[in-house]
Amino acid sequence: MATEEKTKEILDKLKNAVIQYDEDTAKEGAEEALKEELNPNDAIFNGLVSGMEEVGRLFEAQEYFVPELLMCADALYVGLDILKPHVNQLDLGVKGSVVIGTVEGDVHDIGKNIVKMMFDVAGFEVYDLGKDVPLDKFIEEQIKTDSDLVCLSAMMTTTMVGMKKVIDDLKAKNPDIKIMIGGAPVSQDIAEKWGADGYAGDANNALKDAINMISSLKKMKEDAERKNS
Amino acid sequence: MNDIIEKALLKAGADIVGFADVKNILKPEIAHLERAISIGVCKNLNENTVRLLDSLKKKAVLMLKKEGYRYLSIPPDSDRAKDSFISNLYPLFPHKIAATSAGVGWIGKNGLLINPEFGPRLSLATVLTNAPLETSKPYEKSMCGNCSLCVEYCPSDAITGKEWSRENPFVDLINLQNCKDHKEGTRSFNGKPNCGFCITICPYGRKQIKSQSA
Repeated sequence: MATEEKTKEILDKLKNAVIQYDEDTAKEGAEEALKEELNPNDAIFNGLVSGMEEVGRLFEAQEYFVPELLMCADALYVGLDILKPHVNQLDLGVKGSVVIGTVEGDVHDIGKNIVKMMFDVAGFEVYDLGKDVPLDKFIEEQIKTDSDLVCLSAMMTTTMVGMKKVIDDLKAKNPDIKIMIGGAPVSQDIAEKWGADGYAGDANNALKDAINMISSLKKMKEDAERKNS
Repeated sequence: MNDIIEKALLKAGADIVGFADVKNILKPEIAHLERAISIGVCKNLNENTVRLLDSLKKKAVLMLKKEGYRYLSIPPDSDRAKDSFISNLYPLFPHKIAATSAGVGWIGKNGLLINPEFGPRLSLATVLTNAPLETSKPYEKSMCGNCSLCVEYCPSDAITGKEWSRENPFVDLINLQNCKDHKEGTRSFNGKPNCGFCITICPYGRKQIKSQSA
């Protein structure tokens, strides 16, 4: 095991590699973490992800723009690809699977991809349908994968209305399913009006909301089971 | 800063380097990057050329990053297979806009970037940045003049012979379907979708290739 000092050094290296969007350093840091036998979970969450959190702040403060955000994400993935095979189970207390996609008619998927990445990192099973996804496909995929969560993204007011249809259909088939929507034209108001369980203005919130939702869902299920037994 | 970047890139193997003002023509995601550095290499397009362009691009990026500027580097068109987040942004900005705006060349009748010295034989990479670089005089219209060699020799009659200008950049220079069909044909014949008549026939820069192979 590495000394505390060494561990901190490597974690800082991973964190800064993401913030500085430096893929080479991210690779170096991840390899060092393995060599020094750091806990891979630690390296991911206290290194790479804490870097990405800082990036999220910089983005909100308009210090970083979309290109930087994407380059940071690429650096994170370089590190993650090296570390992930050594992680047995990413444990956040909850695990879930999620269907995610940009709705029909809409080809904007940058935001969706960032949200997807956060789910990936947090150990969710992610079924990414991509962009311009026919509305029925969301429902099909949810049933096929028995996912706990469906995430819908839209960038345009014209395509956003498709979300309502998906929410209605999904809730009709399975009232327990949790649905999150996001994208530039979406707001908390719209989410509530349309019956979505969550609204995410950004990727960080999406993840927090998703974890809360799934834990409440799991709790509901457990309660129901306890009653039955 | 122009000088330093240009010299370093030329020394490292670039054949031409240009600086463009791209203010007001960028999509919102990248609108804060007001300058484009257009990097051209006159070599046969193969892995080595792509690697060279990639290293030139990195060199420019490192210089900009060291000075604290923002950037977005766009790799050569033939090197985009990489499935990364940033590659989502590449289609927002074609190399040819940077090149014409940087005075590196104009768009010829064959739809390719034509440089007076190297003709249509440049492979391009672009680095967008917010560094306050001085810019070169852009090309405003095609300098092909009466020359229609590429139109005459195109085996698929894909070149319409119309001329590009900055005022009217979206004229139909090429019937893409014809060109594509023809290349599919050569693919079934010898496994390679190659044609390239419109490149080899262009009188601009033909000497460069001769002196290179000699």
